[in-house]
Amino acid sequence: MEKTTSLEIRNLIKYFHEPETFQVLKGVSFTVKKGEFLSIVGKSGSGKSTLLYVLSTMDTDYEGSLHINGDVLTGKTQNQLAAFRNEHIGFVFQFHYLLPEFSALQNVMLPALKLGKLSKEEIEHKAYESLRLLDLEGQELKNANRLSGGQQQRVAIARALINNPSVIMGDEPTGNLDSKNSRAVQEIFKQLAQEHGQTIICVTHDPDFANNTDRIIEMQDGLIV
Amino acid sequence: MAKSTNIQIAKVHLTSKIWQTFVAVLGVTFGVSMYIFMNSFMNGVNKTQDDLAFSALSHIRIYNQDNNRAYNPIESQFDQSNTVFNILNRKNMQYTTGIKSSTSIFSTIKKQNDAVAVARQVNSSVFFRSGSKKVNGIISGIELKSEDELFNTSATIIQGEWNNLLTYKTGIILGKLLAEKLGLQINNSVNVLTSDGVSKNYMVVGVFESNLKTMDETKAYLNITAARQLAGENSDYASDIMVNIKDRDNTASFIQKIAPMIPYQIESWQEANEQLVAGSELRNIIAVAVSLTILLVAGFGIYNIMNMTINEKIKEIAILKATGFSGNDIMTIFLTQATVIGLLGAIVGVIMGYGMSLLITLVPFTIAGLETLPVFFRAEDFLLAVVFGILTTLIAGYLPSRKASKIDPVIIIRG
Repeated sequence: MEKTTSLEIRNLIKYFHEPETFQVLKGVSFTVKKGEFLSIVGKSGSGKSTLLYVLSTMDTDYEGSLHINGDVLTGKTQNQLAAFRNEHIGFVFQFHYLLPEFSALQNVMLPALKLGKLSKEEIEHKAYESLRLLDLEGQELKNANRLSGGQQQRVAIARALINNPSVIMGDEPTGNLDSKNSRAVQEIFKQLAQEHGQTIICVTHDPDFANNTDRIIEMQDGLIV
Repeated sequence: MAKSTNIQIAKVHLTSKIWQTFVAVLGVTFGVSMYIFMNSFMNGVNKTQDDLAFSALSHIRIYNQDNNRAYNPIESQFDQSNTVFNILNRKNMQYTTGIKSSTSIFSTIKKQNDAVAVARQVNSSVFFRSGSKKVNGIISGIELKSEDELFNTSATIIQGEWNNLLTYKTGIILGKLLAEKLGLQINNSVNVLTSDGVSKNYMVVGVFESNLKTMDETKAYLNITAARQLAGENSDYASDIMVNIKDRDNTASFIQKIAPMIPYQIESWQEANEQLVAGSELRNIIAVAVSLTILLVAGFGIYNIMNMTINEKIKEIAILKATGFSGNDIMTIFLTQATVIGLLGAIVGVIMGYGMSLLITLVPFTIAGLETLPVFFRAEDFLLAVVFGILTTLIAGYLPSRKASKIDPVIIIRG
């Protein structure tokens, strides 16, 4: 049972101090199994995005504890967390957030080049493959800022997948996509969870997307309902 | 692998906004070239001033002055007693003027390693007479070779030959203005009257023009043997011994070394010409002040540009960190950029600074023997400018990139 736990949080509490001190998360605890496709829903202001940023290890200003793959991540240094993210977490932001001066291909390749486990040729091959899968064939060498919003979103997804992370997190990953592409992304996520055992956690507003996942966690006023 | 990825990112940053890179490089170039230009120009001015001053001034002068040896047999004898004494109309006893046996001192100094050139002179105050004209001046008996080593006097001869003094026993070389005052030409004869009443005729075998007006108006050169004859002194006599040493700012230690061996007054150029020392010191202070100002202003400019470059990229830094790049990677990326900007700026700056200085040497400036504005290049100025350019850029890049490396990506990404 312990082996199949992918991510675990215990009694997560977080405050915002600006403009005034406000408790966003009021003691959230849950466990996510390996290969589970989980969606977090809730009204805006319910704390779901904040929760996701804590899960992603990018936000370190919280109380409680966070474990991913059995590692305690609470209290690690920025650099240790960056290295951990690089290898184990893929993240798709709400707004695509690509490096505008780099081509789509380079954007996808960078995390893998940083990880340095594969040769440049292998990484390039993998990135092409991934972009093709996301219907971006022919756009690989365009600069990121010359792509449409939907295309950028898909490049960001390809980037999140490049290192075969054990956990993939998305903040409205299909928010900028039309229904066809949205469904394609859902299928990819589902496939990754089922066939490769990768854990997927997505914050979403889209009820169709949420209904298509293994489990739905609903947040309200900093607590799980 | 990760290292080369960082460098590749730096390269993309530098080349994708080429105009911004160009402006940053220009900032460094400006600082480096201004530093080189100002220093070379000031060095030129300082060197010209010194050359001018030391065309007639030796680093050390040895002479005999009796003033210090006041001999009062009566006063010292009865100082403590109750005897009352009164001396009326006291006169100085005759003392030995000048340096009687100059050869021994000459060779003592020659043996010193620091001594570059030593020259003996016989100087006396005289009247030059030609027809009805009568001009007060100084006659300087010199050893031609050593004198030339010290002051490069032969280069100031504008008519006749420096070595004529060797061939013509009664030859004299006059200052240009002195010759004009007396209405004399080459091969004319001039009468010299000493303070002891000796009168002798000499033939003008040359005219010199230094850049010091007082010298051109009053000075004349004789061969030292002729001058000894005129003064009625022995063949080993000299009134002054002039010494140049390797480092003219280091006269004190040289004097300390030779003082026990020489029973005469030894005077350094600093003691003899305090206004020269003051002028030189002040110029040095100004040079340092100007250099520092340039460094400060240029350094601040470079810092601003680097800061701007990094702040503009803050969102991308957050993305890189979110996808797993560490603070050190961010530092590497921006320090690589700073190094490239610093190196490029320094190289272009050296070329520009050199070019600007060369342009200045084309500006005409015809005062005191100069033809154009003086510029003097020193290797250390170029080296310092390059070191400064690269170092400032690195520091200017380091400070904001350290800040960037510590940034919490979530703050930027959450918006």
